[in-house]
Amino acid sequence: MTELKESMQKAHARLKKRRAAEKRFKMFGVGALAFAFLCVLMLFTSIISNGYTGFKQSYIQLDVVMDETVVDPDGSRDPAKMMFSNYNALVKTALKTKFPDVTNRRDKRKLYGLISSSAGYDLRDMVLDDPSIIGTTQTVWVMASDEVDMLIKGVFDRTQPESTRPITNDEIAWVETLEKENRVEKRFNTNFFTAGDSREPEQAGIQGALVGSALTMLVTLALSFPLGVMAAIYLEEFAPKNKFTYLVEVNINNLAAVPSIVFGLLGLAIFLNLFGMPRSAPVAGGMVLALMTLPTIIIAARAALKSIPPSIMEAAIGVGASKMQAVFHHQLPLALPGILTGTIIGMAQALGETAPLLMIGMVAFIADVPSTPFDPATVLPVQVYLWADSPERAFVEKTSAAIMVLLGFLITMNALAVLLRKKLERRW
Amino acid sequence: MKPMTKDNAVDIEKELNLSNGNVSKGVNSVKLSQDEVKISAKDVRVKYGEKEALFGINLDMPKGKVTSFIGPSGCGKSTFLRCLNRMNDTIDGCSVTGQIIVDEVDILSKQVDTVLLRAKIGMVFQKPNPFPKSIYDNVAYGPRLHGLATDKNELDEIVEISLEKVGLLKEVKDRLLEPGTGLSGGQQQRLCIARAIAVDPEILLMDEPCSALDPIATAKIEELIDELRGSYTIVIVTHSMQQAARVSQQTAFFHLGNLVEYGETEKIFTSPVDERTKGYITGRFG
Repeated sequence: MTELKESMQKAHARLKKRRAAEKRFKMFGVGALAFAFLCVLMLFTSIISNGYTGFKQSYIQLDVVMDETVVDPDGSRDPAKMMFSNYNALVKTALKTKFPDVTNRRDKRKLYGLISSSAGYDLRDMVLDDPSIIGTTQTVWVMASDEVDMLIKGVFDRTQPESTRPITNDEIAWVETLEKENRVEKRFNTNFFTAGDSREPEQAGIQGALVGSALTMLVTLALSFPLGVMAAIYLEEFAPKNKFTYLVEVNINNLAAVPSIVFGLLGLAIFLNLFGMPRSAPVAGGMVLALMTLPTIIIAARAALKSIPPSIMEAAIGVGASKMQAVFHHQLPLALPGILTGTIIGMAQALGETAPLLMIGMVAFIADVPSTPFDPATVLPVQVYLWADSPERAFVEKTSAAIMVLLGFLITMNALAVLLRKKLERRW
Repeated sequence: MKPMTKDNAVDIEKELNLSNGNVSKGVNSVKLSQDEVKISAKDVRVKYGEKEALFGINLDMPKGKVTSFIGPSGCGKSTFLRCLNRMNDTIDGCSVTGQIIVDEVDILSKQVDTVLLRAKIGMVFQKPNPFPKSIYDNVAYGPRLHGLATDKNELDEIVEISLEKVGLLKEVKDRLLEPGTGLSGGQQQRLCIARAIAVDPEILLMDEPCSALDPIATAKIEELIDELRGSYTIVIVTHSMQQAARVSQQTAFFHLGNLVEYGETEKIFTSPVDERTKGYITGRFG
């Protein structure tokens, strides 16, 4: 009897230990989760706090005299000729009249630097739109230059000594004058979404990269999805299980782990140098990324096919379906949610890929928005890389803003994958 | 050759002094005339890779009757059943030799098209496995595959008749377009039988069709098997000796890849000849 009691006591003590171990394990789990959450929070805070100002742009109001002698010296009102008039001179004159006491050549240069060099184009578009404004005085809002923009957004500290700040006292005084007259305004930066890349931060936009990314993804999807799914179906359902297919399998799994830059080198050697495909073009980029995405899709598709109970296949074969019919009528539709999820995740991975695209020249500075997959282009992550590398302070917020756009797309894609899986998942 | 599955099987082997490989030839007490036979197996041997699963089965199954295969797990009864419609073809490394004559054709020969064969020899599986599609599509799948219906009306008719035959029509009439997976287990199994008979087969193979069902659903399936007999030649594998006794006219007892005894069901259960059969049906091993 006492023996029994003793063993009971021992069991009790052990139970206590077991409970404690369980509690500890749970705490570790919660701790790990909290740490991960904190990291994500820090990342997002940093990106958003840096980047949200990128969606705003400072504008300065000027009273511009549409001087006929500048715009249309021979009075012909010929748009082809007026295209090439010196509209920047109008901006300069407007600034000069606004600040008449600036006479020094160097100061004048600085004064003109308040306004973005794109202001002239805005005026030209206005004139070409409506030639009747020639000779009148127009109140126009023009983009401030990047440094003034930074000043207005409070990135540059006005109290710092002049020598340590990138903007001089004179410039600050001018901007403050304009601010007092309510001639300064921060507006939503539509230019950021409609323009291509530019050396001038205030004129730089992500449309070129967005379209480039879209075209690249299109090429990637068109290549990797059908190839990947077909390879998966063959390997999973039709291939004989022998050493050769085993080798293929192992290599596919290895491919998924190959560093992406290696795919870039392969693209450079094969697609560009051997096949002579256009450099920096989404078609080449898409092909490289398709190679990279292929193993992901194959592995996901095979897992999805494998998860379908064999009884479904047996049932189809049992009523006299051929193997192909059984696969295409039953296996594939049932596996499709899983395959699509894998594909979307693979595409999201490809969308965020930079390294292989550097190799095939998509890192070039391209100001134009591409219109076909054969035009030179860049993609979102490479645009982020390019801007992060630029010395101008104003590119910092552009970089973060571009990251936010990229993350937005990635989160949307992943959410879509989850949604699709939830929605299409069938039970049996 | 030691593919033993149960210790007590080893015991009985020892007891019967059979484990030295000196396996006696099976007892076959069924005598059928030539035109009574629907399926005739001659020396059917199956190998999974190197492992032998069946050691030469000779068995004649009569037309329009129910033949049941009984025996302990791993005895090869399901393997043999799957030979009858070449279902083993789908298993890698499985090789079948011998002859299985159905209507004067050796179905194991390479010339036989398995697709047509399986339309002629339907199969019902252990676990109800309706397609995750509508009840209608489940039944209509086979006829569509083989082009048995020329238009929608004809297809509707086939579906209706098939469901009627398995006694499911009344229960599902109003929800033909609902998924077949939403039915109860017994209904699902009857749906699977309807799917199999929709292509108008001559032979129905059933691989433990009731093992996943409750007693009431089982009773319904057994009743159905009894009704279908006559129109179809039915071969059923079962774990339940009572079931074999209830539904079948002939019973074959398999053990360790051999056909031990084959005879009229009544005779097998009342006066078995082989010691092993006696041991199995009296519950000494299995």
